[in-house]
Amino acid sequence: MVGTPVLFIVIPLLAAFIIPLTGMVWKNSVRIIPGIVLSYMLILSISLLWHITETGTVIEVIAGWKPPIGINLVFSPFSGFFATLMIFLGLLVWVYSYKFKRNIDSEPALKYFILLMLLVTGSVGIVLTGDIFNMFVFIEIVGISGYGLTSFYTRRDSAEAAFKYLFMGSIASTFLLLAIMIVYSQLGTLNIAEIADKMPMMSNKLKVISLIFFMLAIGVEAEMFPLNGWAPDVYTQAPGPIGAAFAGIVAKAATYATIRVMFTMYDLSGAMDFLIVMGILTFIVAETTALRQDRLKRMLAYSSIGQMGLVMVAFGIGTKEGIFAALFLIFNHAIIKGLLFFSGSYLVYTKKEKHISDVNGMGKYLPITSVLFTIGAFAIIGLPPFSGFWGKLAILTAAADSKMVALIAIILSVSVLEAVYYLRVVNRIYFFPKKESMETQKPTINALIAMISLGIIILVIGFYPDLITGFIDRAAADLMDKTGYIKDILTINN
Amino acid sequence: MDIINIILLVFLAGALLTAFAGKVSSIVQDTLFLITIIVPAILFFLNININSETVISLSKIQLTFGLTPLSLFFAFIVFGLAILAGFYAVGQMQGKKRKGYLYFNFLLSIAAMFGILVSKDLVSFFIFWEIMTWSSYLLVIYNGKNVQQIGIKYFVMSAIGAYAMLMAIVIVHSLTGSFLISDMIDGFADMSAGMKLLIPILLLTGFGVKAALMPLHIWAPDAYSNAPMSYTSVFSGALSKMGIYGMVIVFMTLITKLPQESLIRDIIAWLGAITAAISTLWAIKQDDAKRLLAYSSIGQLGYIVVGVAIGTPLAMLAGLFLAFMHGVFKSTLFMVVGAVEKQTGTSNLKEVTGLIRKMPWTFLAALISIIALAGIPPLGGFVGKWMLYESLITSNHYLLVTLVFFSSTAAFLYCYKFLFGFFLGQEEKEWAHVKEAPAIMVVPMLILSAISVVLGTFPQLILKPINSALAFYGMPDTYNNLWKESMIFNKWGDQVALTPIVYGIAIVFVIFAVFLFFKNRKTSRYVTTKDISTSGEVPKEYENLTFKENFFQPFLRAVEPAMRRQMDKYMLAFAKGLEDLFDFTRRIYNGNGQTYAIYALLFVILLLLLSNNLFS
Repeated sequence: MVGTPVLFIVIPLLAAFIIPLTGMVWKNSVRIIPGIVLSYMLILSISLLWHITETGTVIEVIAGWKPPIGINLVFSPFSGFFATLMIFLGLLVWVYSYKFKRNIDSEPALKYFILLMLLVTGSVGIVLTGDIFNMFVFIEIVGISGYGLTSFYTRRDSAEAAFKYLFMGSIASTFLLLAIMIVYSQLGTLNIAEIADKMPMMSNKLKVISLIFFMLAIGVEAEMFPLNGWAPDVYTQAPGPIGAAFAGIVAKAATYATIRVMFTMYDLSGAMDFLIVMGILTFIVAETTALRQDRLKRMLAYSSIGQMGLVMVAFGIGTKEGIFAALFLIFNHAIIKGLLFFSGSYLVYTKKEKHISDVNGMGKYLPITSVLFTIGAFAIIGLPPFSGFWGKLAILTAAADSKMVALIAIILSVSVLEAVYYLRVVNRIYFFPKKESMETQKPTINALIAMISLGIIILVIGFYPDLITGFIDRAAADLMDKTGYIKDILTINN
Repeated sequence: MDIINIILLVFLAGALLTAFAGKVSSIVQDTLFLITIIVPAILFFLNININSETVISLSKIQLTFGLTPLSLFFAFIVFGLAILAGFYAVGQMQGKKRKGYLYFNFLLSIAAMFGILVSKDLVSFFIFWEIMTWSSYLLVIYNGKNVQQIGIKYFVMSAIGAYAMLMAIVIVHSLTGSFLISDMIDGFADMSAGMKLLIPILLLTGFGVKAALMPLHIWAPDAYSNAPMSYTSVFSGALSKMGIYGMVIVFMTLITKLPQESLIRDIIAWLGAITAAISTLWAIKQDDAKRLLAYSSIGQLGYIVVGVAIGTPLAMLAGLFLAFMHGVFKSTLFMVVGAVEKQTGTSNLKEVTGLIRKMPWTFLAALISIIALAGIPPLGGFVGKWMLYESLITSNHYLLVTLVFFSSTAAFLYCYKFLFGFFLGQEEKEWAHVKEAPAIMVVPMLILSAISVVLGTFPQLILKPINSALAFYGMPDTYNNLWKESMIFNKWGDQVALTPIVYGIAIVFVIFAVFLFFKNRKTSRYVTTKDISTSGEVPKEYENLTFKENFFQPFLRAVEPAMRRQMDKYMLAFAKGLEDLFDFTRRIYNGNGQTYAIYALLFVILLLLLSNNLFS
């Protein structure tokens, strides 16, 4: 074992404090150190992920206070899967944006990498923590670094988007605190496992009210309809790679929180059906809205929201197949939407408004980026032999096994829309004449590395899904095993 | 490793290499392209083994590959056309842009068709089906004309079909616990009545799209006429047959177990016949040869669907025989159009005339294929059509046979229009420079025409594989007593009864023609088409004597009511309506933070109000 889960939190936080100091001595350290930290975290999480296949879940007790009193970090197959995926994507975002804003002297660029690292750290914290108040703190960390990154370009629109995000985020935090207060006043504990254990003791009315508050709070971050109004603006105004980070990291962490709350903590019978309904609503509204967008990043943002809705549906199905499908969709969405944001932002790099029509004829000028965008588009539509297909097959199989025929029909009909708006963009890239003699921006070498590695992963998983189905299977089994989770944490002694 | 995996790998590697070989040299690219088609074909036909199965195990799914006699029959069509169209494509793509793009997608769609045929489980079937869809989609938008409409229409219709199929697949999996096609067939009898109806309908929707069955055909005219002709010959000849392939399986294994069997058969057969009739009328109206052939393809596929849907042994034989014949002659005709277009720069029947002396070999191929298409003896099309009529009459579908007969007769009109438009009529100076297409394009056409001729006389060459294919799915073995099934065959069932007579007449004509030629050899001289006098007036150079405007106008005026309603327009209006509706949902996100806060508030209030109903 190379380390313990607490290092996921400690190292980046420590680095975040040190970086401004080293930055005074050596400017480039500002962007190099976050990369080193993220690589270290990736190595750590992968080795832990291997480690737990043999020993089972790793539970870290902080400062010697055993649960349920102290804070504990849980690196289980389920949370480990999320953490690894998010750190990997965070590292890729770092690789992609290493030369971003070449002028390292510019004030925001200095903060960019620190904020990015904190965004990843907060998200990993949400996933690893076993304490509900601790989760609140990490959600705040993610939120604050998210606001900062959104207003990275100090423009009017960015500020507006960041303000909307802040506005919604504050409402969410308020309700989250309220919900935590209700739970704490009733059960006298903040530990997720103990809350889950004692949940039957809570009166039904308070249970429902606190759950609704949780839903509102986490639903804002998880981009659930109708709480996701902030998301398109943020995705559009934040720098391109940050869009990928929001889609691949923040939304994933919030989805994790949703599942932990709905599935592990609460035992309400309608909760799962509710998740399906909200998921399908989110999916339909977002995909139909995406069809009518005229800006590329907005379209990608709505598509991302729609995909997260689909993930919610898959979780809501609630069977092991359903959770398997949800995790597969999460994986796919992280890598594919990452690729789409990465390549898409180069396709419209030099354009101010970043309209979809700005990609016209880019196939000739940015051949590799265009091919990668096309691969991403095909994959997210769910065409074989790209990885997106397996996720789609998994959710449909899960729905069929639970006898939800209408759900299959809805998902598939909306998928047709998805195909339409993505192919419209691909057609523009290759078959439309370039609009004016505007300059194109060639992708930097590090951006190419990030994009190509994502493209390769999409293809490899498409041809051989077994590379990750093992991890996903274990993660799904881990989530299903609720009593095991409670028992593991409450009986720990070390 | 099994031969099927090797073939698929060769295709994949070859496609990738070919796509990038253009950077090295054009000839290397052409050679690689041809090798990638021919090598798998050779590997396949040297190693035909009906009983072997290959399994690729993934943790959740087992992809199973193997051959059935039915897929073997379709593999003949796919590989045969792929090789010939491949050579043709090399000739046609000389000096054109996006060559690697065409080769790559061409190879990929051939590989996908092969994959469909050897798939024994539904997941790999679907995977290859989708690969076929997107690779053909990329070729439909190849020339970049109106891609947002034509391409998206093709893809949306394909997606609707594919997703209907996917829905059936996951439902079958949930009911039987297996993705194997054979398990679906075995478990079908035990399903509930609703599922028994739903699954075949979903599957038929999926296959109906590719077979261009009305009302799912709206993509076909544009898609066929916009893809490069070298690919359209495969597209119409082989790819559309994948829909037929699926339909044959559904009809033979699933529909037969249904209580509503005859109703579904009648509905599909009628849809096929209506498709044939309407699209024939539309074909007559077209002035562009590509669109004419595209509509003609839809019509011909309609006949095939009629045969397959009726499902008596003779009807099945007729349907599959027509499927093969259609693959042969329609791909020839698309190649002809491609050759004419390459040499003249247009495929408009109004513009191009009198190429018979300029492109004699192309004309020969066109003539033979047109005869086969029209169903005139002694060519293959006649045998198939006769069998189809006879099967419809013997199974008491008199109205249906009238409709089919009508469309088949009306088809003569566009056949004539096609032949006359390009090759006959007066020779114009504009086309004086036109030369015969290069040999690499002409030879595939002639080979295909030869097949048409041979099958007209010896249909048993192809009826035998069809028969064993059908016997595999439980159809009685008809091969040894074909003459009992249809009166067109002679007593031994090995030849078309009429053929000796037809050939006798033909020989008399040929002898007479030769006799005339030699008798008048001395006195005859070469004349141009303007070398005539009408009522004592000699036509001037610029005067147009050919009748090309408003071809068949009285006829079209007569049938106009039948063509007034167009499925295409309804579908487009529907799509437009949907987009407007989505514009409405877009307004939910109005960009105002306060509105979003109100949404959040409403969300909480609503949930609190409904909490008793939602959670318990």
